Amino acid sequence: MMRLPAFEVILPSTLEEAAGFLADHHQQTKIYAGGTDLVPSMKQGLFEPDYVLDIKSLPGLNGITDLPDGGVRIGALTTVSELAASPVLRREFPVLARAAATVAGPNLRNAGTLGGNICLDTRCYWYNQSFFWRSACGFCIKKDGSTCHVAPGSKQCWAVYSGDTAPALMVLGGRVKLTSRAEERVVPLTDFFVNDGLGRNVIRPDEILTEVLIPAARRGYAGHYEKFRVRGSVDYPLAGVAASGKPGGGGDLRIGLTAVNPRPVLLDRLDGLSLEDICNQAKRTAKPLKTSASTMEYRRHMIGVLVKRAIRGLSASSD
Amino acid sequence: MSDDFTTVGKRVPMVDGTQKVTGHGIYTDDIKLPGMLHARIVRSTQPHARILRLDTARAESLPGVFAVVTGKDLTGKYGILPVGHDETALAVDKVRYVGEGIAAIAARTPEIAEEAAHLIDVAYEPLPAYFDPIKAMNQPDVLIHEDKPGNIERDYHHDFGNVEQGFADADLIRDDSFFCPRVTHAAMEPHSTLASFEGGKLTVWSSTQTPYYLHRTLALVLGMPMSSIRVIKPLVGGGFGGKDEPLGHEICTAALAIKSGRPVRLTISREEVFYIHRGRPAQHVWLKTGVTRDGRITAVHCKTIQDGGAYCSYGVVTILYSGALLGAIYDIRNFRYDGYRVLTNLPACGAMRGHGSVNVRFAFESQMDILAREIGIDPADMRLRNALEPNSRTANDLRVTSYGYPECIRKVVERSGWNEKKGKLPYGKGIGIAGSHYVSGAANAIIRSKMPHSNVMLKLDIDGGVTIYTGTAEIGQGSDTIQVQIVAEELGIGLERVRIVSADSDLTPMDLGSYSSRVTFMAGNACLRAAREMKSKINRAAADLLKVAPEQLVNRDSRIFVSSDPQRAVTFDETVVHALGTQGGTLVSQGSYTPPDEAKGGKFKGSGVGPGVAYSYSAQVAEVSVDVETGQVTVERIVAAHDCGRALNPLTVEGQIEGSVSMGLGQALTEEVKYDQGLTMNPGLLEYKTGGIRDTPIIESIIVESVDPEGPFGAKEAGEGSLAAVIPAVANAIYDAVGVRIKELPLTPERILKAIQEKQHR
Repeated sequence: MMRLPAFEVILPSTLEEAAGFLADHHQQTKIYAGGTDLVPSMKQGLFEPDYVLDIKSLPGLNGITDLPDGGVRIGALTTVSELAASPVLRREFPVLARAAATVAGPNLRNAGTLGGNICLDTRCYWYNQSFFWRSACGFCIKKDGSTCHVAPGSKQCWAVYSGDTAPALMVLGGRVKLTSRAEERVVPLTDFFVNDGLGRNVIRPDEILTEVLIPAARRGYAGHYEKFRVRGSVDYPLAGVAASGKPGGGGDLRIGLTAVNPRPVLLDRLDGLSLEDICNQAKRTAKPLKTSASTMEYRRHMIGVLVKRAIRGLSASSD
Repeated sequence: MSDDFTTVGKRVPMVDGTQKVTGHGIYTDDIKLPGMLHARIVRSTQPHARILRLDTARAESLPGVFAVVTGKDLTGKYGILPVGHDETALAVDKVRYVGEGIAAIAARTPEIAEEAAHLIDVAYEPLPAYFDPIKAMNQPDVLIHEDKPGNIERDYHHDFGNVEQGFADADLIRDDSFFCPRVTHAAMEPHSTLASFEGGKLTVWSSTQTPYYLHRTLALVLGMPMSSIRVIKPLVGGGFGGKDEPLGHEICTAALAIKSGRPVRLTISREEVFYIHRGRPAQHVWLKTGVTRDGRITAVHCKTIQDGGAYCSYGVVTILYSGALLGAIYDIRNFRYDGYRVLTNLPACGAMRGHGSVNVRFAFESQMDILAREIGIDPADMRLRNALEPNSRTANDLRVTSYGYPECIRKVVERSGWNEKKGKLPYGKGIGIAGSHYVSGAANAIIRSKMPHSNVMLKLDIDGGVTIYTGTAEIGQGSDTIQVQIVAEELGIGLERVRIVSADSDLTPMDLGSYSSRVTFMAGNACLRAAREMKSKINRAAADLLKVAPEQLVNRDSRIFVSSDPQRAVTFDETVVHALGTQGGTLVSQGSYTPPDEAKGGKFKGSGVGPGVAYSYSAQVAEVSVDVETGQVTVERIVAAHDCGRALNPLTVEGQIEGSVSMGLGQALTEEVKYDQGLTMNPGLLEYKTGGIRDTPIIESIIVESVDPEGPFGAKEAGEGSLAAVIPAVANAIYDAVGVRIKELPLTPERILKAIQEKQHR
């Protein structure tokens, strides 16, 4: 049986307390909310924190709130199931609800949180393995080693970002609020991710992702999410496409890609381009490597197909 | 035999079902003994290397570590097959695959055992390693085992009838090559073993399908008499062949218990299950078949190479089944078989549901579809035209008794609407048919002897309850339930009066175990014989009470009555009291089963594998949709008919058919153990893609009851024969849908799309 290493659980009762603890101990601490990403990785020895900061019971970080300006605020602890079932999201921001509905399987959606899904660690065959396994292959650049087995000679890590909700939030112009003891800052998701499996994103180790803000601009827009995975449930995406546009195919199109690069990617300023051009742009942007199941060529092909289907899905869903 | 049964043929829930669904069932990992230690296996990081140094001193000195063993402590060689004693519990001198055990540690906690594992100091001298069986055969610079030249574990060359003449008589000959990668069982329960050593007696609890072979192997390797060892099999969370041989971790756990003097438990991780493996081998199949214009097969030549991994395991049997079972479904008078079982530096392959037959069946049934289309015969009809006769002997001297295959084909054709749909579905939708079969119990034991294969004892006491003592291994397939039903039926009593104690070597008589789909047939017959003996004792007492001859009595509904006058009756309970009083107290009876000599096969080398005491048959129709833009396949519906002789319990038969179909669909569409330089790339259930409920189509099970002349109440196996057919049925349906023939598993969207694109470009 794979076992968790020893650690101390810290149970703050307020956000201030949590941020304070993190300010003093962020080097030795991992943040725990749903645990669906962190716990298996800890069992594999990918993280061996002294402290696990359990924020899942913190008040005020739950729920989906309609804002007076037409935007929406979503607490970081809102579960993926709640996103998928939310009437306001399904009606006004359907791309997010649809993406959420495809995450993993039902029990993982019940446990997993939006904040966790956004901050998902990047994934790779050579990384998401036990200590024994990684020692047998001489470790990798992302953990304990210096080689990237996916792209030998590369100085960066090509582990793939595999969250489903981030591309949906990106097409909606979503921003995240990052809270530390010293400050609170709001970062657009387009600036949040880094195209390197090592850095992953701009969140500082003393910060907690506390909420997600969706602006009013795309309220009521059509939205669609297409996902390629091997099985009908459980699996991470091998290619994912989020699309948002004016109802009835009226333009203002944005496309978000996931699971084909170390970060999710937004494609915008697409109006005026043909469907084929958009698909080709998406396929050029996608750089799937042998980090995951399926083949690189097929995943790139699927990005083209899924972009086309997502765009067509926009018209269909607004009928 | 009357069909008027009271429990046989009824949809009886499994007798151990309640404890499982309530979570109260006790599996090996649930058992805790006072002072119990936790074990861990240290495994090789090298695919092929000499062990230069293996120093356990630091690990042994870690506080909380009680015992460490290495290959030097357990040098006795073993293996499930007498011809395959090539394994040691831990590697000695050299490692042959990544994940092979090199040391085992028992410590006070699992955490200490893990910490100690990191303190084992090992140095290797790497050797060239082979991961591809053809390379291993062709470039044997270094031998994986010194006594296996060319890295060939075993090859067989069989020739039946006149193959040259058969091909000369053919109007059409096809030659196709197929490939199937490795797949694994993915049983829900990872292997677990608990051992305790007290007063010179060793007790081992283990999640095994074959407690008897484990018992023998423990005695062999540990140098103890079998009488000093007790083997108990608690509930097992699925086997599928992955637990049907003695495994290194079981021996290590026992050795650690002996060395430490404390009970030791070892439950391995899911990742380690992939290193133990014993799954279906990767296999190349080259198949040449000749047919006449009217669809009769005139000759078959099958050549196959299996990647067996680093040890023999069941390999010699697997390569023989691949050839022998070609003979047992269609009437093929002329066939030649060249089979090579090859060693590689990967985890050892072993037995897996449909053992040896599945990959060849994919090839055969795919090629039959090609042939039928090329000569213009309906694929279902072509199968019927090549049917065997019941009660016949095949070209390779297998005895076929009951044979429900034609009825299986007719039933699935009718239920699926085959004739209305075949060739008439729009592009992208398809329908395909295929068949399969399996032995219903191997007629020859793994270790040849005159011993019965199954033994059962019954005890009837003053409480009016009957206890079955049986060595069979219930692994979730329902063998306990079936035996209870058989005894209840024969004694004419309710199921609630029958208890079962199974697989505890101190209490239960020997049974060979749960492999080769043998338990219902063999232990069922043993139960039936024991029950008949018990019935004669009961009826002697009843005859005494009713003042009639015992032959005139009928046992039913816990009553014993005169057949000509049902009102003249005594209750089961009063009869038991009388019987105990007049027949010396507790009533016991015994039954056994030994396969008949005429079922044991021919006299040629390798003829011992393939003979079954009977064979089960399956025909299946698959309906699929193919997304031509992505190559993605949706299996819409499977209609599966299985000939299981008489269905003793239709509920569990249907469960087996559905389980076989869904397991076969995994191999057909998504499953593959991937390796890179000997490393298992997907050693977990997230990346090893067994299908879930979202991937499972509607499965319509049809039970075909051929009523076997020798099976208990006419029953045959239900657990394995239905797996193989679904794979070619889906492949054939894909061809029907989009006109592409995929000859390599799994039938991935990548492969299908590529084939569609190539076809469009031609």
